[in-house]
Amino acid sequence: MRICTGLLISAVLLATVSTAAKEKTVTPPYKTAEAKHFTQAEGVELTPSFEDYFYAELRAQLKKANMASDVIGEGESVDDADAARSIVITGTITEYKKGSVVKNALIGFGAGLRSLKMDADVKRRSDNENLYVLHVHVKIDPKWDEKVMAKFAADQLVKEMKNEVKTQGK
Amino acid sequence: MILPVRASTCLPAALCLLASCGLAAGDEPKPKPENTISVQLAEPVAAQKFENSPKFWISEVTDRSGNPQPMMVLKERGGIFVDRLPTVIVRNALEQSLKASNLLATDANTADLVMRLYVFQFGLAEGSQLDFFGKVEFTAIVKNPKTGESKEVKASGTSIGQGAVRKKNIQKNVQDSVEASLKDAMRNFLRGQQLKEAVAELRKGTEAAPAATAAP
Repeated sequence: MRICTGLLISAVLLATVSTAAKEKTVTPPYKTAEAKHFTQAEGVELTPSFEDYFYAELRAQLKKANMASDVIGEGESVDDADAARSIVITGTITEYKKGSVVKNALIGFGAGLRSLKMDADVKRRSDNENLYVLHVHVKIDPKWDEKVMAKFAADQLVKEMKNEVKTQGK
Repeated sequence: MILPVRASTCLPAALCLLASCGLAAGDEPKPKPENTISVQLAEPVAAQKFENSPKFWISEVTDRSGNPQPMMVLKERGGIFVDRLPTVIVRNALEQSLKASNLLATDANTADLVMRLYVFQFGLAEGSQLDFFGKVEFTAIVKNPKTGESKEVKASGTSIGQGAVRKKNIQKNVQDSVEASLKDAMRNFLRGQQLKEAVAELRKGTEAAPAATAAP
């Protein structure tokens, strides 16, 4: 009985160690990834500092998620050999609603939330072919800063990118 | 009877307000060794490869941030200061990287291209208050001294550093964030398409000039 339990524990331990090792050695799907500043559609009133912060946050999330071996800055050149396995992320903020603190406090159930919608195109650098389109919709409490919204939007965008890479890999 | 009561309520409130104003004025952070950080590149940034590798020279670095206290990076929690002026930090970082890539001229006379830098932002920008948003932004006017032609090259670097509560950790995270954004800006400049195009265009003029004089 003791031997069986010991064996079982060691097997579980081995399995977890091997999966952790696998996760660590996973090669990123792209060689380089370049995120551009997102543009704003007509009627969207967000500060330029929001765009800057979102750009920085998106790059930070891409690095964190290990989406590319090298997350480069806007306008940086890439070797021709790496261009086929490199991506460029462009996008537009299509809708922004400020939200209402009063509505949120009185009605609740999601009313008066601050909301942001954006579309992003992920293109291959070598031939500019559109690999996939991402749609992001983020809602936050109206009392929170708009930069927090940028943080959530970047996080969601990278998560969707990961899902797309997974489905395309299958 | 009402007046003395009002006066007795208002007087302490006014005194408190005055005291807090006085405290606020006295609390203006000052640079001390314990709240000063040293920002520099951990290692030089490798530049892209240029045709006929030109030699650069940095003639002048000007602060265009409009910040009255350019050395103060953070005002809260007793303040955090950098040990040198942002213009000096940017100049040193760029010279270090150019030297490592063998692109730095020994003096202005031997340089193929002379650069004049304008620093627009250095330090922390407005972030989400959950982290430290480091940002370095500068523009270089790259000039060919032989032809007098010049081109503008923009560069920016950003970094999101972890937030912190303890003062010691705040200082460390701010330093990491500013250093990372400085490195990012250097990389953006030295490996940017804009610099590549500017160098190609400015050097074209120099290469064509001797050929034109040699023809007759």
